[in-house]
Amino acid sequence: ALSKSANIDKPAKYSVPTLCEMCVNKCALIADVQDGIVKKLNPNPLFPKSRSMLCARGAAGIHALYDPDRLKTPLIRVGERGDGKYKEATWDEAFEYIKTKLVKIVDEEKDNRSCIGYCAGEGMAEHTFKSFMANKFGSTNFLNHATLCLQTTIAGYSTTIGGYGQADLENAKYIIMAGANRAEAIVTPDTMDIFKRTRGRGAKLITVDPRYTNTAMHADLHVPIKPGTDLAFVLALTYVVISKELYNKEYVKNNFNDFDKYQKHILESEYKPEWAEQITGVPAGTIRTIAHDFMAAAPQAVYYQGRRSTWTKNDFQLRRAMALFSALGGGVDVKGGIVFGSKLPLAAHEINTPLYFNAEPRIEGDAAAIIGSSGSWVEWRNMVEADKAPYPIRGMFVYKQNPMLSVPDTARTRKVFEKMDLVVVIDTMPSDTALMADVILPECSYLEREDPIRSFAGIEPAIGLRQKVIEPMYDSKPVIEIMRGLSAKLSKPLWEITKKHDEDVQDELEGEDELAYYQENGFDLTEPYLHSQEELNKHAFVEKYGEEAWKTIRKTGVYYPGMEASFKKINNNSYQYYPEDKKVYSVLPVEEKTDASPADIAPWKRTFNTPSKKIECYLGNFAKKGIDPMPTWRQEQHVDVPAGKFKFITGRHALQTQNSTQNNVMLLELMRENFAWINDAEARKLGIEHGDTIEIESSVGAVQIKAYPTPKIVPETIFYVHGFGAKSDGLTFAYRNGASDNEIIEAGSEPVYGSAIMHETLVTVKKV
Amino acid sequence: MMNYAMALDYQNCINCRACEVACKEENGVQLGADKQRIWVGIVEGSSNGKPFVNLYPSQCNHCIDAPCVSVCPTNASHYIKGGIVKVEPDKCILCKACMESCPYDARFIDDTKVSVDKCTFCEHQIEETGTTACQATCPTKVRTFGDLDDPGSDIVKLLKTRKFFFQKEEIGTLPKLFYLVPEDETYAQQSIGPNTKIHTWEEIQPLYERAAITRSQSWKQ
Repeated sequence: ALSKSANIDKPAKYSVPTLCEMCVNKCALIADVQDGIVKKLNPNPLFPKSRSMLCARGAAGIHALYDPDRLKTPLIRVGERGDGKYKEATWDEAFEYIKTKLVKIVDEEKDNRSCIGYCAGEGMAEHTFKSFMANKFGSTNFLNHATLCLQTTIAGYSTTIGGYGQADLENAKYIIMAGANRAEAIVTPDTMDIFKRTRGRGAKLITVDPRYTNTAMHADLHVPIKPGTDLAFVLALTYVVISKELYNKEYVKNNFNDFDKYQKHILESEYKPEWAEQITGVPAGTIRTIAHDFMAAAPQAVYYQGRRSTWTKNDFQLRRAMALFSALGGGVDVKGGIVFGSKLPLAAHEINTPLYFNAEPRIEGDAAAIIGSSGSWVEWRNMVEADKAPYPIRGMFVYKQNPMLSVPDTARTRKVFEKMDLVVVIDTMPSDTALMADVILPECSYLEREDPIRSFAGIEPAIGLRQKVIEPMYDSKPVIEIMRGLSAKLSKPLWEITKKHDEDVQDELEGEDELAYYQENGFDLTEPYLHSQEELNKHAFVEKYGEEAWKTIRKTGVYYPGMEASFKKINNNSYQYYPEDKKVYSVLPVEEKTDASPADIAPWKRTFNTPSKKIECYLGNFAKKGIDPMPTWRQEQHVDVPAGKFKFITGRHALQTQNSTQNNVMLLELMRENFAWINDAEARKLGIEHGDTIEIESSVGAVQIKAYPTPKIVPETIFYVHGFGAKSDGLTFAYRNGASDNEIIEAGSEPVYGSAIMHETLVTVKKV
Repeated sequence: MMNYAMALDYQNCINCRACEVACKEENGVQLGADKQRIWVGIVEGSSNGKPFVNLYPSQCNHCIDAPCVSVCPTNASHYIKGGIVKVEPDKCILCKACMESCPYDARFIDDTKVSVDKCTFCEHQIEETGTTACQATCPTKVRTFGDLDDPGSDIVKLLKTRKFFFQKEEIGTLPKLFYLVPEDETYAQQSIGPNTKIHTWEEIQPLYERAAITRSQSWKQ
């Protein structure tokens, strides 16, 4: 049956406003249902973040829901890891299997909960999973996607200007988009804002990229750059601006900390445009022009933050240099610059977290200067693979992530899974990683569940609600119900292990009532999952906005105070959300109170969310850990391309999301496989023509893929998009289409956060 | 009377193909890369060693003098209210004369309907929403759908402020996809052929109005 009986109570035709999960943007949509079948996903114009739009992936979400290959019941492995042989099981059988293995492992490891690692992809239910594994089960070995993604960018901006912020692309006059590709890596509202304002319509766009992307075609100036040299480019821009004193002196005087050190460093290092030209391939004259034009447009000028992965060893320094460059023009916390916006509050749920005396700290804590709570995926994996962990990692819980495709050096990731005594995967699809599991638990899709309500920060902040459109199909469940079942099964048996091994607990229990102690100290693992998600959301929302607003958001999917009065349709293409005077551009406290416009107050003194309350040029605490306190070019770290080799780079496009949508039949016809970009002149020399199969080999692996010779990529560089090349034969349509980038990317990490370096692998290319 | 048309600010297009998917989902178009009611035309090359790409989002022009309607031997291709060109699958005999005659290659065979198929401007939802699936979903708002006979419509308001051109105007079918000339001269030069006529609403409106009046007798309600 396609849907369960609960749908029978509903009218034949109805619509539900909810949030998309085809990528990370969470755009608002309205799902039309007829006779229990989701027929169409339409954009919901009420949401200021996504306005009125759904991209190709968003509109194709129906085919994720009705994908014939979806995981339909819990599965228990009967064959070898990776061979795809499983038997169907009930939820109770699956939980029982997990319990038996887990209790044995935790007992043998003497209640060191960290012997089980866990990882999660980004998503609205990620925290529900994490709260169980971190807070209730008690493992420290969490890996989220950050160190495969935007860790260095977020950190670079946060340590420098006190936050990542949002580029106000609706008002910026000059935008440098380097590496970021908003036409193909869609981010709302940025993508919607910028491409209505390019080509002489108020925003000058400069793209800096080894590839001529769909974003570059909209640029006033496209600057091809050698991969891995962006830091030299930014430092040279900075040199021009400082040496010619083009920066906003008042803003710098009021808001920069240690500017004198940065000024001295930039000038004494002689980061001249001619120096940068040698490294980057960008003409010195171009660098000078960009520096002058940027500062002429400042403070409405942005060196766009981007997101993406870490490219090279110097990535953190690059992001710092970018943030400082924007700030030199005064374009931070001002309309048309980088703004911080505001966020509507929601009530929090406290979790009663037990303390496990025997739980060890995470294994890779010393692998980089700062390993945060989300770990370093590559370093963690490398330690487990090489048996270098200080204690055995014997199991892994994976939610909505596909490390077999997303972590560099796939062969080593496979070895890690092969070693483990227990691998549990929660997903909607039989991914390459699911095939490494002992137990696969089928999550329902985003259209079949309510997720934790979410507040979206921004210039026009709003709250969005993901609501269930139809009942979960097959025997799938939302994560909160999976955690409810799992915690009920595990709580008491794991408590017995803790009592057996945890001396602190043994001491504290003496003379105490055991059941009361167990409950009061959080050892009852079931407590956070007893209520339905709807009840939890109602509680989080009603406390702040009341019952009436709750009724509204369930009907609209979106809420912000004043919405009913200020939301207006201007025409079929444009809407007003907040009136102009209610939009949140400058938020940092300034010394004086005034009615002056945001642009006027640009140079004023602010209080930044950094240790010195100013923009940080010099990070003294980082220097103590051996990290350059100021962005510095280290030629010895730069990877040159020897003759006959290429540098491999990767990226995204608008038609598939990472490695999660390649089995979607609608998206498959937009893009069936990935092609390897190679400079057309070089391809001619190698006798490679369009569509030829080529072999690309690095020190860790080789792939075969079709070639796309093009003038749109700089020489000595090979590119193909991430996400293809799945080897799971459970994916009927995605199976072995194209190639996976991580089969050939070497597993290096940068020194500050241990983020995986994606753009330093050298490869050879030959026609097959 | 109503005369539906589409203006395209094609300079906004990022080739994300949201319009193609929204169209397929809204209209139940057959799956398959070559089964498209709407598409993004791509012209790619390099000049002086620098690459360039022009994008031309496109679909049926719903021509006022539509050759596909004239050549159809069974009247399967016909006009409906608002001058929308439609195909009646029950009458289609797959002779493909319409596909041959269409200057825009806007038609294909939908094997599930056993009929020629094409864009309908989402006529089934115009009254309810006043827009099409492709316009509604577009992230950068390339399209503006509307009624050329209504001076207050979004499209007429837009055409009054912007110059525009048609594709293959010289064939004389009076197409109704209005391509808006980009403000940026360099990009206009790069993306508009040297022999393309540029029009204003003031100049073209009488021609389109007269033609529509003549034709509208066959625009069934």
